[in-house]
Amino acid sequence: MHGRVKVRTTEEERERKKKEQVLKMRAYRAAMTRIQIKRSSGELDDELLNLTVQILLRNPDVSTLWNIRRECVLAKTAQLQQAMQAQEKAPAPKASEQTEKEEEEKEQEQAKEEGDGDKKSATYSEQLQTVYATELDLTEQCLMVNPKSYNSWHHRCWTLEQNPEANWQRELQLCNKYLKFDERNFHTWDYRRYVSAKAAVPAEQELDFCTEKIKVNFSNYSSWHHRSLLLPKLYPNELKERPMSEQKLKQELEMVLTAAFTDPNDSSAWFYQRWLLGGGVQREESAEIVAFRCWPHKAELALKTSCPEMVQLKIHLISAQNSLELDNWLPMDANKTQWECGSIDLHANSNYILESDGQRLPLSVHPKDESLYCFVPPHSISTSCSKELLAELQTQLKSCMDLLDYEPDSKWTLLTSALLMRAIDVDKYHEQSLAHLIKLEQVDALRQGYYQDLAQRWNMEIALAKWPETKHFPLVFEMPGKMKRTPYVQYLIVADAIIECD
Amino acid sequence: MSDDLPEEFDLIVVGTGFTESCIAAAASRIGKTVLHIDANEYYGDAWSSFNLEAFNCLLEQPNFTLRNGSYIWHGPESKEENEEMEIVSWTRETLLEKSRRFSLDLSPRVAYSDGELVKLLIKSNICRYAEFRAVDHVCILSNDELVSVPCSRSDVFNTKMLTMVEKRMLMKFLTACNDYKEEDELSFRGRTFLEYLQAQRVTDKIGTCVMQAIAMCDANTSFEVGMQRTNRFLGSLGRYGNTPFLFPMYGSGELPQCFCRLCAVFGGVYCLKRSLDGITQAEQSNELLVSSAGKTLRAKQVVCAPAQLPASLARHYGELKPHISRGLFIAASPLGNEELNKGGGGVILLRLLAEEGAREACLLQLAHYSGTCPEGLYIFHLTTPAISEDPSADLAAFTAQLFQANAPQILYSAYFTLTAQTIPKTSTAMPICCTAAPTYELDYDAAIANARDIFDKLYGEAEEFLPRAPDPEEIVVEGEDPSALREHSLPEDLRAQLQQMDIAE
Repeated sequence: MHGRVKVRTTEEERERKKKEQVLKMRAYRAAMTRIQIKRSSGELDDELLNLTVQILLRNPDVSTLWNIRRECVLAKTAQLQQAMQAQEKAPAPKASEQTEKEEEEKEQEQAKEEGDGDKKSATYSEQLQTVYATELDLTEQCLMVNPKSYNSWHHRCWTLEQNPEANWQRELQLCNKYLKFDERNFHTWDYRRYVSAKAAVPAEQELDFCTEKIKVNFSNYSSWHHRSLLLPKLYPNELKERPMSEQKLKQELEMVLTAAFTDPNDSSAWFYQRWLLGGGVQREESAEIVAFRCWPHKAELALKTSCPEMVQLKIHLISAQNSLELDNWLPMDANKTQWECGSIDLHANSNYILESDGQRLPLSVHPKDESLYCFVPPHSISTSCSKELLAELQTQLKSCMDLLDYEPDSKWTLLTSALLMRAIDVDKYHEQSLAHLIKLEQVDALRQGYYQDLAQRWNMEIALAKWPETKHFPLVFEMPGKMKRTPYVQYLIVADAIIECD
Repeated sequence: MSDDLPEEFDLIVVGTGFTESCIAAAASRIGKTVLHIDANEYYGDAWSSFNLEAFNCLLEQPNFTLRNGSYIWHGPESKEENEEMEIVSWTRETLLEKSRRFSLDLSPRVAYSDGELVKLLIKSNICRYAEFRAVDHVCILSNDELVSVPCSRSDVFNTKMLTMVEKRMLMKFLTACNDYKEEDELSFRGRTFLEYLQAQRVTDKIGTCVMQAIAMCDANTSFEVGMQRTNRFLGSLGRYGNTPFLFPMYGSGELPQCFCRLCAVFGGVYCLKRSLDGITQAEQSNELLVSSAGKTLRAKQVVCAPAQLPASLARHYGELKPHISRGLFIAASPLGNEELNKGGGGVILLRLLAEEGAREACLLQLAHYSGTCPEGLYIFHLTTPAISEDPSADLAAFTAQLFQANAPQILYSAYFTLTAQTIPKTSTAMPICCTAAPTYELDYDAAIANARDIFDKLYGEAEEFLPRAPDPEEIVVEGEDPSALREHSLPEDLRAQLQQMDIAE
């Protein structure tokens, strides 16, 4: 119709796109062929660098091309460094006997040359910096194309490592900028940790930055993780029983619960909260002895977590008379949590102590066969925590229970309140926390097996904790219910009989 | 004025207000020849923005759309008067010196980020002429203090106004509204939204936030309407900023001009300072004879803003009545605490209630980042439906709430009334379409609906209302093969690469 603007149809547009695609393909093939030829003939020059730029800007994830670039950069920098060294070493021409006038002239010339030399060496180091700057610029442009390009991030790190005068502050600014565009890009967070270590950024400053990002959007695993790395360093826990000082832990718990309440369906906050509530995370992960029994002919040992090599673990039996090192341990199970070793020269009627890596465990005499044993339950029933922290935990539990009143089926609230209960008083809340798990099996049927497993662990923990007070200890252990796969089974090496209930 | 205008048009639009500009652009987009005139020497009519001096002139000379204008200076006249004060503050002189830095709206509006206006701008591609700032805070008055209503998830997370459980309640309530479908909650049909809110066991604080700022309801608003408004608010969240609203940069007066621009791009002819003097039916044809500035033009159809009707016709449309009462203040300090005005402040929206919710007003506070005033100054726009010929009396109940407790340093205040006619539904007097005057609303929904109605009436529903305008590179020049790929349309680096290859070969 007259007066209406003519616009291309989709069919025509598609045809145009196709033609463009063909041209792109042609250009790509030509450039790739050229790159291969130049590389195999060792021409690591500027032309080769420029050829890779054209392709990398369209697809930053061609590792081969980045590798070729690195070869070129190394060749180039080596050349420049050689030139610089050659210049430094160049001897000044010796003055010979000449007339005064000639000498004067010579001096002037020399001065001039020296000046030139300075200029040249300056340009060499400048040239070197330009080489690095080109690489950094390119990675920056490539990250605009794909902010999650592993190759570009890697190449950036590599370039900075090459340059002794790298500007780390600038890199930090770059991280700020990129995290403003996308606060959840884990590549940038990772890079930020690398850069802030290099730039020696104070941990307080990093923590503030991290808090700012959480305020913008708390649904961010990366920033919670970043916190979890900073806080134990900034606010260490003296007793190493909690991930950080109790005062700070209280604040963190409050913040994370606010996030969790704002959006209970966002799992990131709940995960961070679980980390906060987990005890003893800071403890060195060395093998910890939880049960031991020995007869004159052999000894059995149970460890809290599996230990691939027993060699580092020096285990001694100490009595008033002598000290005995136990070695040549052999694993008893596939998990490598239970070990045994051969005959021991035991003196009757002596008090023995088992010692290993700071652990000192007095041994008792087993009522059955007078063997020696010791036993450390998995968790002590009463966890030690300050009044302030306990109050915070109780406030949090109260908030969770209020929330459950309002939303009885909220999965994360059910699980967290159960964890809070156990953090406050395992014994008192045992039944109630199990009830939460049963409820969870209904509302979150997809993870039924997980909740059942967790319930068994908790049952076993409490049964083991209470076992030393029962009259059959350590002869008989009564299993708390039926178990598919018994957790903490290694703790039972001190028992003679295990009774399974129906 | 040169008068070599064509003399025949498909459509003559009189008045360059928002609604008229919308119709002009839509008609021009479907290939109609359009003449767009306005009696004023500026674009926008009752929707326009002015610099400070021009605004004062306007208040001094009432016209059809604006009357009861008045303004007062509160600050000192000039610096001499102000010598004893140490800090150099604003004076009448300094304000007038910066007159051109002001953009004072007659009809200030915000747009829902996913509302009718934004959708229309995107759909029609007019958005490339417009620029917006996301409204920074939506507020309520709580104990005479401005309090930001937590809108987004991060707002709820950061606010200190709510307890942890309240945060949960608010989020849960909003999620429930967001998931609401017509067939749910039948039990609340025919009841009020307030009843529904109370049934959700929310606390008073949350109730106030929802009623005043989110659902924008009063006690009598029906459940359905409240739900619809809540969802409009929620649906616009998380699109451009922290709140669901956008404010046009440099003032709401920019928007009519965006539509005019599109109309002109598609061949519309523009003429300001030209009024509609008379209109008659041509003999033996359906055409209208329009007389303007001593010339007679022929048009198939005419659309006119009510205030620009010739006197001979205006009587058919009833008398001009006060429609909206407006207050406009320039202050040297903002309303609300520092937290609300971080970094110099932005745009704050506040809905005010008076007489136990029977009357409401809307406050827009603009800082210089909105492009409407010089740095260091703030504009407060107050708008309420008129109940008398005295705009300052109409607004007294609201200014009292706002300025008594907070006491910003006001330098200038102005009041005026916008008028509207009572248009009879069936006006057969003339085959001419009249648009509606600006109504009391936050967004442009009513104005757009009005424009669309008139467009449909003129051209039938088969014609699309403002289809997407093509970008320059999509347009095919006459005689060109539409599927050909021209070299200059290739990306620059690819072009360079191909050229290099050609040289090498």
